[in-house]
Amino acid sequence: MSTTTQEVKQAEKEPLFGKKERRLITDPLNDNNPITVQVLGICSALAVTSLVYPSVVMAVAVVFVTAFSSLATSLLRNYIPKSVRMIVQLVIIATLVTVVELTLKYLNYPVYKQLSVYIGLIITNCIVMGRLEAFSMANKPWRSFLDGIGNGLGYGLILIAVGVVREVFGKGSLFAGSPLEMKIIGNTEAYWINTETSTMFGWYANNNLMVLPAAAMFVIGIIIWIQRSRNTKLVDVS
Amino acid sequence: MEALNIFLKAAFIENMVLAYFLGMCSYLAVSKSVKTAFGLGLAVIFVLGITMPINWLINEYLLSENGLFGTDLTFLRFILFIAVIASMVQLVEMVIEKASPSLYASLGIFLPLITVNCAILGGSLFMVSREYTFGNSVAFGLGGGFGWFLAIIAIAAIREKIRYSNIPPALRGLGMAFILTGLMGIAFMSLMGIDPAALASGAN
Amino acid sequence: MENNRYVIIFVFILTATVAVLLTFLREATKDQAALNEEIFNKRAILSAIEDKTGKDSGEFTDEEVVQLFEAKFTQKVVNVEGETLEGVSADDIDMAKEKKKPESERRLPVYIYEDGGDKVYVLSVRGNGLWDEIWGNIALAEDLNTVVGAAFDHKGETPGLGAEIKDNPTFANNFKGKQIMDNDGDFVSILVRKGGAEPGNPHQVDGISGATVTANGVTKMLESGLENYMPYLNDLRGEGQQGMLQEQ
Repeated sequence: MSTTTQEVKQAEKEPLFGKKERRLITDPLNDNNPITVQVLGICSALAVTSLVYPSVVMAVAVVFVTAFSSLATSLLRNYIPKSVRMIVQLVIIATLVTVVELTLKYLNYPVYKQLSVYIGLIITNCIVMGRLEAFSMANKPWRSFLDGIGNGLGYGLILIAVGVVREVFGKGSLFAGSPLEMKIIGNTEAYWINTETSTMFGWYANNNLMVLPAAAMFVIGIIIWIQRSRNTKLVDVS
Repeated sequence: MEALNIFLKAAFIENMVLAYFLGMCSYLAVSKSVKTAFGLGLAVIFVLGITMPINWLINEYLLSENGLFGTDLTFLRFILFIAVIASMVQLVEMVIEKASPSLYASLGIFLPLITVNCAILGGSLFMVSREYTFGNSVAFGLGGGFGWFLAIIAIAAIREKIRYSNIPPALRGLGMAFILTGLMGIAFMSLMGIDPAALASGAN
Repeated sequence: MENNRYVIIFVFILTATVAVLLTFLREATKDQAALNEEIFNKRAILSAIEDKTGKDSGEFTDEEVVQLFEAKFTQKVVNVEGETLEGVSADDIDMAKEKKKPESERRLPVYIYEDGGDKVYVLSVRGNGLWDEIWGNIALAEDLNTVVGAAFDHKGETPGLGAEIKDNPTFANNFKGKQIMDNDGDFVSILVRKGGAEPGNPHQVDGISGATVTANGVTKMLESGLENYMPYLNDLRGEGQQGMLQEQ
């Protein structure tokens, strides 16, 4: 777990502004990515990523929740009694998640239906609580807010990457279910590449494995592999 | 009998980790050695087994339309469920700290993180959407916990073994754990659709 | 250190603030959310009659959905004896709740779509898949036998396998032209057959590979669900035949 050392590092930089603040956002995108490095928030990453569109909605919801729960916790950090701090943090998170749920029901009911129980599970998305414990309880509101956004984005980035791989190879489409829907490869005329008539791609068939939740594990495993071969300091020595 | 079926189903067929992929964070992070995995697994069984019936009572008597307040308060479900879970985890934390300081130290940040173990809240939410009775919710909680326990022991054992295998350095540890879990999940898919009730009655 | 009183007061204030905030937000969004849900359910009915409306159910705007239902749909609720129930409309029926009642007490929604003398009857069915509930709408042509369209949905079937009943349009399309009754007018239902339908059999459709349990669930759901409608359909056919006799 690298969260504690990172907290110390960032506490030293506290008075600075500008570049260091930007690192709060960019760090979690790669070097300190919540999913591939901190190993937090994996459950929902698996279930919703069979299509890109719900992954995007989920990513936006998580950015919202991490950002504002970090802000709220940081504002209250000097008043929260230590003995009940976890419950207080969770109440804040659960409130924001309920806000997301109600908003989604109001704005886009079909997506709400599709994400169903996984919206509730944002509460137990360890990234949110992990960041509150490790960062917001010890940092000023603005920095906590940025840290929340950064980690939410880092999470969303992986989510969408996994979603793209799974949808393109599993279904041959992109953004299905949204107005941007693109049909790339498949066996009817509706697709850009029609495997029935194309001479080059006649052999191609969508990979059903990609649609299964287990495929998300493989894709994330491979993302970690790629990331660690490029960035050798993350390699697990044990 | 129905409770036994639900227990078996929750533990094996609808395994929280390998069929629904819930509770992954602590599952991946604490599965480096069988010993710590064992401790965390027990804690999860306990927390799931105890929070499920409490949340059942809350849902039935406080939040539902025919409950204490007479109106539909189900939009407060998340908050109350998670509050119950957080209190129970804090209880477990205190007990482990007293009973086994070494286990307490090795579990580290992942003990409080049981609270945010999706399997626990997920279990409560499944219980609501499946409309279990009180007794069945206890069975579901214990079964789900036991299934989680089995899964984490299994992956920890595999990870201890493959430490000596020749894996590309960048894939070692976490990357391999993800791929292994995916493979285990596919293996567990073969249990899908087995109905313990039908097996018990000799049908099929 | 902090004393207990402070902790209790803090938690109390926090909880109260949160509860008030959420109640307020819920009240503000409640009506629109209910409307969204209604439109969502209506779209599911429209997707069963895509051939008749000539449009994909997703191509209608929300207003168009509401207007279409007001202009071209008649709603009815019947019981398993085929009697029409007064004072309720099909919109009021929650199939999830009806499914829990004993079969003899169930109320069944019927949506009748009329467009230029063409009548379509949309019937709702609900059953169990592999993990959780599945449901669907079946549209019958005026002969009350030939399926003109079907649409299915599910709560939590495996993506790529059981979930194909909804995600793969071919599955629902295969129901088109199938018949629920044999030539004598007896109910036979439609079988989702593992390994593919027998060619030319009007009572079978292709199954989904790897999703036998869900497919069997669809078969069972159609069998019990449509059978409940049979008394109503038979009465209706009886009336139709009488009408024809009178005309002659």
